[in-house]
Amino acid sequence: MVAEEHHVAHPKPSQYVKIAVLLAVLTAIEVGLFYTNNTLSLGWVNTAMLLILAALKFVIVIGWYMHLRFEKITLSRFFSFGFVLAFTLYAIVLVSFGVLALNR
Amino acid sequence: MSEPTAPPEDEAVAHHDEHESTGVENRKLGMWVFLSSEFLFFGALITNYLLYFGRDYPQGPTPAEVYDIPFTSVSSFVLLMSSLTMVLAHNALSRRDQGATRTWLLATAMLGSVFLAGQVFEFTEFIVEHDMTLSTNPAASAFYVLTGFHGTHVAIGVIMLLSLFGLSKRLGGLSDRQHLNVELVGLYWHFVDIIWIVIFTVVYLLTATGGG
Repeated sequence: MVAEEHHVAHPKPSQYVKIAVLLAVLTAIEVGLFYTNNTLSLGWVNTAMLLILAALKFVIVIGWYMHLRFEKITLSRFFSFGFVLAFTLYAIVLVSFGVLALNR
Repeated sequence: MSEPTAPPEDEAVAHHDEHESTGVENRKLGMWVFLSSEFLFFGALITNYLLYFGRDYPQGPTPAEVYDIPFTSVSSFVLLMSSLTMVLAHNALSRRDQGATRTWLLATAMLGSVFLAGQVFEFTEFIVEHDMTLSTNPAASAFYVLTGFHGTHVAIGVIMLLSLFGLSKRLGGLSDRQHLNVELVGLYWHFVDIIWIVIFTVVYLLTATGGG
């Protein structure tokens, strides 16, 4: 069965726990950055760092917990299409209304 | 002499439905496509919030002025850990450990409920302590609609998890056929988690004006 073939490659419970610890650490760094920014006003560095950390957590959950990296490429294409479409569309909206410029 | 009988129509359809030409179960493909379309839904709500949060309003505070970041950080941690318990439930079912599957499903539902309770507390605090209601200003409206819809998704997930738990309890375990149901609920649950990852960073941490 196709599903069973994929299950063989899935991580073990101990690896899932390690991933959860990593996600928790990344969240802690995000919150730490938030307070550091309140004190030191890091500006765009804070924005960039927070977005990178969120993107890392996003990819880890999709890749390992949702098992997308173990699945057929068809699923990745369908999923990526929706994300890229939404990201592009709303980025254009935010730029058009000057929100991205406003936050600089 | 009797002629060979054709398989029942529903059986033929069921077999056809399981593996299409893509090599992926149709229901699983359908769930991924649905989740993909949800990016557009939540993207619209997040964009809506970003369009309104930075403006000055004569009435009431904006969400960015009243966020309780330490509290929301704990809520985020709870939801992240529910993704761990969900994946452990799926893993336990793959090993046919029915008891562990039930335990992790219930744990996931409980963590989801804790997150929801936190959201109810947060909304109550904003309304009672800061007098920020749904109609106070456009930023507040956008915030409540976004986080409210996310909370609704979490609530639907909790109901699905409890249904699987109840089904497993009633039948004495989940069969191989129901394995896909657990996987689909898991995909939905993790998706709700990744949407919160984005909301927590973009809507809370990047727009909050105070230290909480």
